[in-house]
Amino acid sequence: MSETTRKFFDALERHGHERVLKKTNGTIRFDLEHDHEVDHWFVEICGGAVRVSQRNSDADAVIRADSAFFDRMVRGEAKPLPAWLRNEITSEGQFRFIVLLERLFAPPPGARHPRALARDPGGRR
Amino acid sequence: MKTDLIRILDGNIFVLSDGSGDMEAKPSVPCGFFSFDTRFLSVWRLTVNGERMSALARDDPSYFEVRFFLVPGAPTHYVDAKVSVIRERSVAGSFEEQLTVFNHSGEPADLIVRLDADSDFFPLIVVGQPHTPRGRLYKRVENGRLHFGYERDTFRRETVISTTEPAQVDERGLTYHIRIGPHGRWTTTLHVRGLVLRPDGQDVREHVYPGRHRRNRSRLQGDLQQWLGKAPQLTCDWEPLERTYRRCMVDLAALRFSPLTLPAEAMPAAGLPWNATLTGRDSIFTSLQALPFASDLAVATLRMLGIDQGAVLDDFRDEEPGKILREFRYGELVAFEERPQCPYYGAADTTPLYVILLDEYERWTGNAAVVREFEDEARAALHWIDEYGDIMGDGYVWYQRRNEKTGLENQCWKESGHAISFRDGSLPGLPRATCELQGYAYDAKIRGARLARQFWNDPAYADRLEREAAELKQRFNRDFWVADGEYYALALDGDGRQVDALSSNIGHLLWSGIVEESRAAKIAEHLLGPRLFCGWGVRSLAEGEGRYNPLGYHVGTVFPFDNAFIAWGLRRYGFTHEAGHIAEKIIDAADFFQGRLPEAFGGYDRKVVTGPVPYPAANSPQASATGAPLLLVRTLLGLEPYGDDLVVEPALPERFGRVELLDIPGRWGRVDAMGSVDQRTQQTAGR
Repeated sequence: MSETTRKFFDALERHGHERVLKKTNGTIRFDLEHDHEVDHWFVEICGGAVRVSQRNSDADAVIRADSAFFDRMVRGEAKPLPAWLRNEITSEGQFRFIVLLERLFAPPPGARHPRALARDPGGRR
Repeated sequence: MKTDLIRILDGNIFVLSDGSGDMEAKPSVPCGFFSFDTRFLSVWRLTVNGERMSALARDDPSYFEVRFFLVPGAPTHYVDAKVSVIRERSVAGSFEEQLTVFNHSGEPADLIVRLDADSDFFPLIVVGQPHTPRGRLYKRVENGRLHFGYERDTFRRETVISTTEPAQVDERGLTYHIRIGPHGRWTTTLHVRGLVLRPDGQDVREHVYPGRHRRNRSRLQGDLQQWLGKAPQLTCDWEPLERTYRRCMVDLAALRFSPLTLPAEAMPAAGLPWNATLTGRDSIFTSLQALPFASDLAVATLRMLGIDQGAVLDDFRDEEPGKILREFRYGELVAFEERPQCPYYGAADTTPLYVILLDEYERWTGNAAVVREFEDEARAALHWIDEYGDIMGDGYVWYQRRNEKTGLENQCWKESGHAISFRDGSLPGLPRATCELQGYAYDAKIRGARLARQFWNDPAYADRLEREAAELKQRFNRDFWVADGEYYALALDGDGRQVDALSSNIGHLLWSGIVEESRAAKIAEHLLGPRLFCGWGVRSLAEGEGRYNPLGYHVGTVFPFDNAFIAWGLRRYGFTHEAGHIAEKIIDAADFFQGRLPEAFGGYDRKVVTGPVPYPAANSPQASATGAPLLLVRTLLGLEPYGDDLVVEPALPERFGRVELLDIPGRWGRVDAMGSVDQRTQQTAGR
């Protein structure tokens, strides 16, 4: 499995509570495909706290993605919802966890604070 | 766009056709069967023995069903048809059409019944424009079914047409060679499904569970009866109000849909055809308007918009943490990120409005659990106002898109490109701070303070919000007041200059409470004056301004929802006569549309037109226009929650006579409100 994936899940267990709301509960299993293999990552969210394991257990939502594409989402280069709409990732179960993914991954590289644009004279029109 | 299209709908699924039931889509004619933001049928044309059909009559049994009575051939002054057709269709999750052909002669009839069909799979957001698809279209006949498909990489949509009677099926339609006995009939049912497929050929929605309820006609019919049964009953001496009320409650039911994320709850889709989707602004405005009548819409709206609340900075989507979305789409262009609506956050009003809805919902229902459930979302929204809305760091809410290619330049409800202008018509630079945004921010802080104090156990935060609101009000009344016109500027531009056009936005300021008491009378005078008031309602932009156009989308047309909030605002400041006047004229206009107000209609002076002129591309039904008469009823009866009671202070123009609204649900259980025209008014009128 990729270094990006492993780092993401490590960080998710340590800092996930900062990204999800306190009332979030549920389980997500990620099935990441690479070289004819599938890695499983099992994420439990309980009262906003996150635990990660590599169990292959039933979950409220199962998300299947190509491992390299998953890494692009982790880095904020690709977004989960449009990816789901074009079947680049597929899912089983509750849709709200696809939406939740939007909170877990990094923001797109180079995104600006609205004030940065207003301060930049080139941005003022 | 043609405004006379026949519309049936089931939330965000709908069918638009011409008067005979045929569909022949063009950029100017947005006909078709639409679902999941995709057109699944663009051609649907019936012929009998090669002749097109003419409609003799039409029957609309419900919002999801329509029946056409047809004869072959062009209409002439003399119809002696030997053959006629009843074409009965419904949309309940999918599209179904029953054709019954009658032979009225004493001889057997040999007929060729043909249905031409096709699909272009256009995403809804480009249906009004020329569009060249990037993917591949395919057609095939399989097991007596006609399949149309569209593929682009792993993205796939498919239309499947099946028939109960055997047909000769080719790639362009279905042909029936039939013989009908003397005075006999023949019937077939066609079923059209719109599939959203994965590469394995399965529909993505089959893999979302718990899924949405299966929908069919009897379920929708039962659901509608239940919905109407739960709603308060309205009676009025003036019949147009009763008619409009009935229409609004049915249309509101029609527009409800369950997003994939919330399969068991229903919220309003914004409107047909262009906005049959989840939007932030329309769902909030509509839920606010409907609170005294159907408060569940507000909970679904708060929950759905909360789940989709912005979490990160994203320039393409104009997203910031805490921001409430503008719009969510499922179509091809968003799937491939050629457009940003998945979801798009380019709106500066939705976030404060979210807090306003949460507070108003509790005031009506007393449901404190909901206020606690959405505490994090509401705090994030309030934080957004100061951290991301206040682009210039001067205490106002501003907007400036970071997505300069496909984002919106104007991020307030008047979002068309030329909506925000100076008197002379010139356009201000960016960023822009429109006046109503400041009103919403003020109101959100006041209401947020109430929630913090009463439910979140955070009096310090409440104090801070109230202090900020007071400062905002003071600053606003200093910087936005146009001295030589005696009204509030439409906006400030990036250099702090007043964008000085006179607009309906000043009416929303009354609703928000940001207007200084001493200035309210002047604002009321402008709103009811000849430049803004056209006789049917308040124009979006005053006559005489450089950009004024009675048929311009946000620059002269009259928006019913806008008028309802203006009337509510006038009432708040004690202008009951003026509020009643607007209510009367909007209901008057509604009657011209059989109770179904379009999103907008022309701002022509009432003296020069016999009836309100519909804006050519208006959505209809449209959620917030549908909600407008509901808010007007609230305003006329002076309904206001006060503690655990509902205060009723009717103030009715003479024409309404007596208004009764029975079984109004709320924290008080159910209560009745009655109002009749003030005695003194009646005496004056009688003299």
